[in-house]
Amino acid sequence: MGSILKRFREPIFVIALLAIPFFIFFAKAKKGIALSRVDRVLVALMAPIERTLTGAAFGVVDTWHAYLALRGVREENLALRRENLRARTTDQQAAELRLENDRLRHLLDFADKQAPTRLVVARIVAVGASTHSHSLRIARGSEDGIVKGAAVIAPDGIVGTVVQLTGSYADVQLIVSPLSAVPAITQRTRGRSTVKGTGDIGRCKVEYAQRTDDLQDGDMLVTAGGPGFFPQGLRIGRVGNVNRKQSGMFLSAEVVPSVDFARLDEVTVVAAAEAVQQQQQQAADLAPAAAGAVQ
Amino acid sequence: MTLRIALVVLVCMALAVAESVLPFLLHLKVARPDLLLAVVLYLALHDDIVEGAALSAVAGYFSDLSSATPAFLYTFLAVLTFVVLRLGGSALKTEGGVQSAVVAFGASLLHGLIAAAVFGFFTGTGIHFAALPMLWSALGTALLAPAVFSILRRLDLNFLHSDVNAGGMR
Repeated sequence: MGSILKRFREPIFVIALLAIPFFIFFAKAKKGIALSRVDRVLVALMAPIERTLTGAAFGVVDTWHAYLALRGVREENLALRRENLRARTTDQQAAELRLENDRLRHLLDFADKQAPTRLVVARIVAVGASTHSHSLRIARGSEDGIVKGAAVIAPDGIVGTVVQLTGSYADVQLIVSPLSAVPAITQRTRGRSTVKGTGDIGRCKVEYAQRTDDLQDGDMLVTAGGPGFFPQGLRIGRVGNVNRKQSGMFLSAEVVPSVDFARLDEVTVVAAAEAVQQQQQQAADLAPAAAGAVQ
Repeated sequence: MTLRIALVVLVCMALAVAESVLPFLLHLKVARPDLLLAVVLYLALHDDIVEGAALSAVAGYFSDLSSATPAFLYTFLAVLTFVVLRLGGSALKTEGGVQSAVVAFGASLLHGLIAAAVFGFFTGTGIHFAALPMLWSALGTALLAPAVFSILRRLDLNFLHSDVNAGGMR
């Protein structure tokens, strides 16, 4: 027995090295992504290096931009003043609309049942290492009140959801990942569908849109909302290549995401207010204990 | 020997950081070099089976850590790629930079195809072969593979010298 093991040591070792990860992957492939203790330690070692490197690179770029900015500062100042004026006008109009909306809601006795949320701004420190990963690593984690499944957004639209977490860092799965599915509404027609990732960084696909829906090229899809999903009304992307087959219930179409994932520097994470409050409470509870320990 | 293994693991870790940070800083959408695949390729062509397979698994594990994909997908793929390249090892030559780049290009395409098939089949998302991103990624890997090979060759040369000085060979 011993001699057989010794003789076939190499093939046995290689087969074991193939079989063990395969079975773990097979068992966990559809159950979501979770970090083990060893993973957490290694991420805690690697992520600060990634953060330092990106921080240093951005520092150099910012310094260069600051130098360049000085050269055209007067013209830019004027342009910004004009832009500010326009923004203030728009802001006033928005405030009016908000007040009107509040009054109408009150009249309709409409209760906003959505859980209160807090937005946490997070800096991106790295992207997924492989071409199949479609993920970002951000410098915010469970210590900032972020939970698994939290929605991640950018000014142009939705980015993805948090899939794995450590104390200070989180990995965000982009909406273009084949593992992502987002309930959507067509802004123009209010028709419902699901936006699914394709694995291609510049393209998603529309699923479960009724063939009879008036979905057209150029239509904007926004998030449908609902518990456990993105807040309602955020931009997902524009529809293209709408194809209505002669038979079947659903049409097929592509979506070009509103967000250019390669140009993102910062994102906003929608943290549930409960989680934030819990975390603040824990911090408040710990503070006197820590102060006592110091004394 | 143990020091060499530790150093290769450190190189893998550094390359994992580099391949996560560089595409972000350079705003690369698709031409992302798979530096850890270049390590697997080097190991398949230069190491003995047991050590090479184990280090390939480590390289794959680092890919898993920074990919947010289901656990151990890339660990499995790295060992599988090691085995496939090892089997075809006698036919592959990586003496010069161009040869290394060509072999890395082919290996990256093969790895991409297997990854898409395994990922799609076992996660239930369906198998999609995104040809263009795969080609771009293979090109990125091919461009940087000679640099990775050079790092690992230097590391091995240092060990070879120290072994010769100590009066023995690996």
